[in-house]
Amino acid sequence: MTDHTTLPHRFFLSISLLSILAGSQPDLTKELVSLRSSSESGVIRLNDDTVSKFITSVATPRPYSLIIFFNSADLNSNPLQEFLSEFAFVSASFIANNNNNNRSDVANKLFFCEIDESSDSESFGLFGIQFLPQICLVDPLMENLQDKTGRMEEEDVDGTAESVLEFIESRTNLTVGPLRRPPLLSKTQISVIAALITISAPFLIKKVLNGETIFNNNRVWQYGAVLVYFFSVSGTMHNIIKGVPMFVRDHQDSNKLVFFYEGANFQLGAEGFSVGLLYNVVGLLLAYVSYALVRVRNVSEQRVVMMLAMVVSLLAVKKVVYLNNWKTGYQIQTYWPSSWH
Amino acid sequence: MGAKKASPDLLNSSFSFKSLKLKTKQQELLLRVSILGLVYVLAFIARLFSVLRYESMIHEFDPYFNYRTTLFLTEKGFYEFWNWFDSESWYPLGRIIGGTLYPGLMVTAALIYWTLRFLRFFVHIREVCVLTAPFFASNTTIVAYFFGKEIWDTGAGLVAAALIAICPGYISRSVAGSYDNEAVAIFALLLTFYLFVKAVKTGSLSWALGSAFGYFYMVSAWGGYVFIINLVPLYVLVLLITGRYSMRLYVAYNCMYILGMLLAMQIRFVGFQHVQSGEHMGAMGVFLLMQVFYFLDWVKYQLNDTKLFQTFLRITVTSAILVGGIALGVGTASGYISPWTGRFYSLLDPTYAKDHIPIIASVSEHQPTAWSSFMFDYHILLFLFPAGLYFCFKRLSDATIFIVMYGLTSLYFAGVMVRLILVATPAVCLISAIAVSATVKNLTSLLRTKQKVPQTGSTKGVGSSKSSSKVTLDQSQPFQKNGAIALLVGVFYLLSRYAIHCTWVTSEAYSSPSIVLAARGAHGNRIIFDDYREAYYWLRQNTPTDAKVMSWWDYGYQITAMGNRTVIVDNNTWNNTHIATVGRAMSSYEDEAYDIMRSLDVNYVLVVFGGVTGYSSDDINKFLWMVRIGGGVYPVIKEPDYLVNGEFRVDKGASPKMLNCLMYKLCYYRFGELVTEYGKPTGYDRARGVEIGNKDIKLEHLEEAYTTSNWIVRIYRVKPPTNRL
Repeated sequence: MTDHTTLPHRFFLSISLLSILAGSQPDLTKELVSLRSSSESGVIRLNDDTVSKFITSVATPRPYSLIIFFNSADLNSNPLQEFLSEFAFVSASFIANNNNNNRSDVANKLFFCEIDESSDSESFGLFGIQFLPQICLVDPLMENLQDKTGRMEEEDVDGTAESVLEFIESRTNLTVGPLRRPPLLSKTQISVIAALITISAPFLIKKVLNGETIFNNNRVWQYGAVLVYFFSVSGTMHNIIKGVPMFVRDHQDSNKLVFFYEGANFQLGAEGFSVGLLYNVVGLLLAYVSYALVRVRNVSEQRVVMMLAMVVSLLAVKKVVYLNNWKTGYQIQTYWPSSWH
Repeated sequence: MGAKKASPDLLNSSFSFKSLKLKTKQQELLLRVSILGLVYVLAFIARLFSVLRYESMIHEFDPYFNYRTTLFLTEKGFYEFWNWFDSESWYPLGRIIGGTLYPGLMVTAALIYWTLRFLRFFVHIREVCVLTAPFFASNTTIVAYFFGKEIWDTGAGLVAAALIAICPGYISRSVAGSYDNEAVAIFALLLTFYLFVKAVKTGSLSWALGSAFGYFYMVSAWGGYVFIINLVPLYVLVLLITGRYSMRLYVAYNCMYILGMLLAMQIRFVGFQHVQSGEHMGAMGVFLLMQVFYFLDWVKYQLNDTKLFQTFLRITVTSAILVGGIALGVGTASGYISPWTGRFYSLLDPTYAKDHIPIIASVSEHQPTAWSSFMFDYHILLFLFPAGLYFCFKRLSDATIFIVMYGLTSLYFAGVMVRLILVATPAVCLISAIAVSATVKNLTSLLRTKQKVPQTGSTKGVGSSKSSSKVTLDQSQPFQKNGAIALLVGVFYLLSRYAIHCTWVTSEAYSSPSIVLAARGAHGNRIIFDDYREAYYWLRQNTPTDAKVMSWWDYGYQITAMGNRTVIVDNNTWNNTHIATVGRAMSSYEDEAYDIMRSLDVNYVLVVFGGVTGYSSDDINKFLWMVRIGGGVYPVIKEPDYLVNGEFRVDKGASPKMLNCLMYKLCYYRFGELVTEYGKPTGYDRARGVEIGNKDIKLEHLEEAYTTSNWIVRIYRVKPPTNRL
C-alpha cells in the first residue's frame, strides 16, 4: 500500500524538480554564456563563489559540462602558462566551430573554465588538487568533485591542445572540430611585411645586380660554413629529435651533474657541443697556422703561437680519442703481421 | 756519356738503364699511377675481411632481395625481370618487382656476370654479387682522385683517394657481401658530381652529357638520387646569388637537368614523379630561373640603355615571381604536384618521423647520429674538415664552392639519419684531403727551400724578394724547419692513427654478415652461430612449396631468398596496413592471433629469439615496435598494455598482456625448462638478463615445428582448424 502512495508522490516530486531545473538552469547557462562572451578565448575564470554557484549548489543533472584548467599564477611556470594558452585555443576553436546558428545548443553544453590557486585556493581544496597541471571535466552527473574519474590522466597531459581535444572528445559526446590556431603572423603584420618587401625590392635587386649583398661577402659564408659544420658533427639534430637535455643530475648524488653519457648511440647535449668545439679548434688552428701565422713578422711571436697551437691540438685530439674510447667501449688496436709476435 | 766506351753488353744494359731514367714529370706520373694502383687494390682488399673470416656470402637483409632478383635476371633475362610479378612476397597482395625497384645494381651485377662468362670465367652469380661492392668502392677511389684533382690539385686527389679507400663511413656499406644499392650508388653519386663540376668549369656539352648519364645511373641505382637533384640546383642557385652566373653554368645545368630528367623518367619506379613530386620541384624552379637570367642577359645586351633595362628588369622579375607563385599554388591545390614523401620530409623537419611514421622511426639506421658515431666513421677527418673548409674559402672557385656545399648539406643530413653518413663520406674525405695535401705541400716546400738556400746562395729566388723580408726569412729559417718537421710528424702520426682505426673498425665492426653471428667463447675462441641459414634451409626442405610463412618484416627477404617460401610481409615496407596486421597478430592473445593468421592463410610462424645465446636484436627487443606499428593502424593494440610503469619487462613483473601475447609465447615456449647459464634458475633470458615471468606456456592453435640448434630461430606450424561437426 505504501508503495502505491509513494509512487505518485515521487512522480510528482520529480516533475516539480524537473520544472525547477527547467526554470532555473537556463538562467545559469545564460549566465555562463555571457561570462564566456566577455572573455576573448571563451575561458571563464571561476572563483570560489562561482564554483559553488555553478557546480556545488546545482542539482546533479546539470544542463552543462565544465572543463576546468587548474592554474597557479604564483608558480610563475612558463610551461603551465603555455599549456593554458593551448587550452584557450581549444576553447576558442570549440566555440568557433559550434557556435553557428543551428549548433549553438552544442556550444552551450560545454564551458571552458580556469581556477587559479593563488586567489581561489578554497576551490582547489574542494577538488583535492595536489599537483599541476591538471584538467578536470565536471560532467552533468558528477557530484563528488574529488572523484578522479573526471581527471585527465597524468600521462596524457603533455601540454598540447591536441591532448585536451582528445580528452574532451573521448569523455563527452561532443566534437570540438578542427583546431583553429591563430596564424603565426596576424594579417596586419603580414601586410606590413609585404609592404616592406615591395618597397625594398628595387633596392635589393639593385644590390644583387651590383654584387653588394651580404651573400657576396666571403666571410659570411665562411663563418656560416664553420657553424653548420659545428652543429652537424656535435649531434645537434640528435639532441633536437630525441629532446635530450644538456646534462642530467646524477642518480645517487643529486648535487652532481652528469655531462657525459656512456653508451655509443646516445649523447647529452653538452658533451656533443664540447666535442664539436674540440674538432673545430684543431681544424681552425691548423688553418690558422698555415695561412695567417706565416705572415706574422715577429719571429718569437710566431714560435710561441705555433708551440701553443701544437700543444692545444695534441691535447684536443687526445681528449677526443679518449672520450670516444670511453663512450663506445672500443679499444682500437693495431694489427701487426703474425710473424712479429 | 761513359756508355759509349763500354763493351756491347754493358752498352746494352746502360742503354736500358738510361731509357729507364725518367724526367721529373714522368717520375711524378709513374709515382702517381702506382699510388693510385695501390689505393685501388687497397680499397678492394680492405673490404674482404668478411669473406676471409666467414665465407663468400650475402649479408644482412635487403641484399637478399637484390640477390634473388639478380638471380632471376640472369636466369630469365631482362624482359622477364622488368615485368616480374612476384607472388611469393606480400601474400596475398604480391609485388610488382619491375615497377617497384631500382634496377641499377642488379643490371650492373648481371652485366659483370655476363662479361665474365663471355671471357670464359665461369663464376657463380653469388660471387659476383658478393664482390660488386668492393669493386665499385675501388672505382670510387679513382673518381675521388679526379675530383680532388679538379677542385684542388693532384696531391689532394691522391690523398682523397687514399682516405676514401679506407674510410669506415664508406666501408660500412661496401664490404664484400653487402650487396645493396648503396654499393654502386656512391660511385654513381660521386661520378655525377665530378662530371657536373667539370662541366661547370669547362662549359662543355660533353661533360654535361656525361654528368646526365651519371645521374641516370644514380637514379637507376638508389633513391638517394633525390639528394643530387636537390643539391645541384641549390648549388646553381648559390652561384646565381653570389653573382657567379656564367654561360658555362648555363650550358652545364640545362643539359644535365633536361637530359637527366628525361633519362630518369625511364626508370619505372621514378617515372612521372620526376616532374610532379615536390622533391623535384626545386630543380625545375632553378631551371626556369636560369632561363630568366639568360633572357635578362640577352635583353641587357640588346638594350644598351641602363635605365630602360632597369625598368624592364623590375617588370619581368615581378611578373616571373607572380606567375611562379600562382603556378605552384595551383599545382599543389589541384594535386598535380604531390606533397613530399615522409622520408624526405623527415630530413627537413627531423621531429616529423618520430611523431608520425613509426615504420620509419623504427629502423635503427634512421636514428639521429650522436657525436660518437661521427667519430667512429670519420675519425681524424673531423679535425681536418674545418681546416679544409678554410682552405677552400681561401681559394674560392666554382668547384670549391660545390664541394663545400656538398660537404655541409650532407653532414647536416648525416646528423639526422645515421645511414646518411655514407653520403657525406666522399665530401668529408675530399675536403679533409685538401687540408692534408695543402698542409703537407706547404710544409715540405718550406723544408725544400731551406735545403736549397745554402746551395744557391743569393742568386735568383731569395734575391728577388725584398731585403726586409729576406732578413726575417733568414732568421726564422732554423726554427721554421724544426717547426715544419714537427708539424709533418704530427700530421703523419694522425694519418697513421687513421689507418689503424679504419682497419680495426672494418675488421671488428663492419665485417659481420649478421646472417651468421659470431661471439667470443669463455676461452676467447670464436663461436659461430649459423642458425638463420639452418632455419631457412629447414623451411626449404621440410615445408610444402606453397606454404606461407609469417614473421616480422625484417626476415621477409631472407625467407624468400633462402627458404624459397612465400611471406606475408618483407623489408620493402610499402604497405603499412599489412605490416600492422602482422604486428597486431604478434601482440594479440593466441586465439585472436589465430583468426588473423587464418585470414592470411598462414601455415608457419617464424620468430627470432636470443634468450639462449644473448643475441640482443631479436624479436622480443623489437616487440615494442610491432606494438607501435600495429597500434598505429589498429587502435585495439595499446602500447601501455605491454608496459609496467613505462618499462618494458619480460620477467614476473611484466604486464599480463605481455606474458600471454603470441610473440611472448612463441619465443619462450619450453624455455622455462632450460638452464642457460650456470648458477641461474631455469628460464633465465641471457639477452635481457632476467628470469622469464611465464614458464608454463601452453600452445593451443600452434605447434612447435623446428627450433635451431642455438634456439635463435623458432618455427611453429599453425594447426588447421578442428572439424566442425
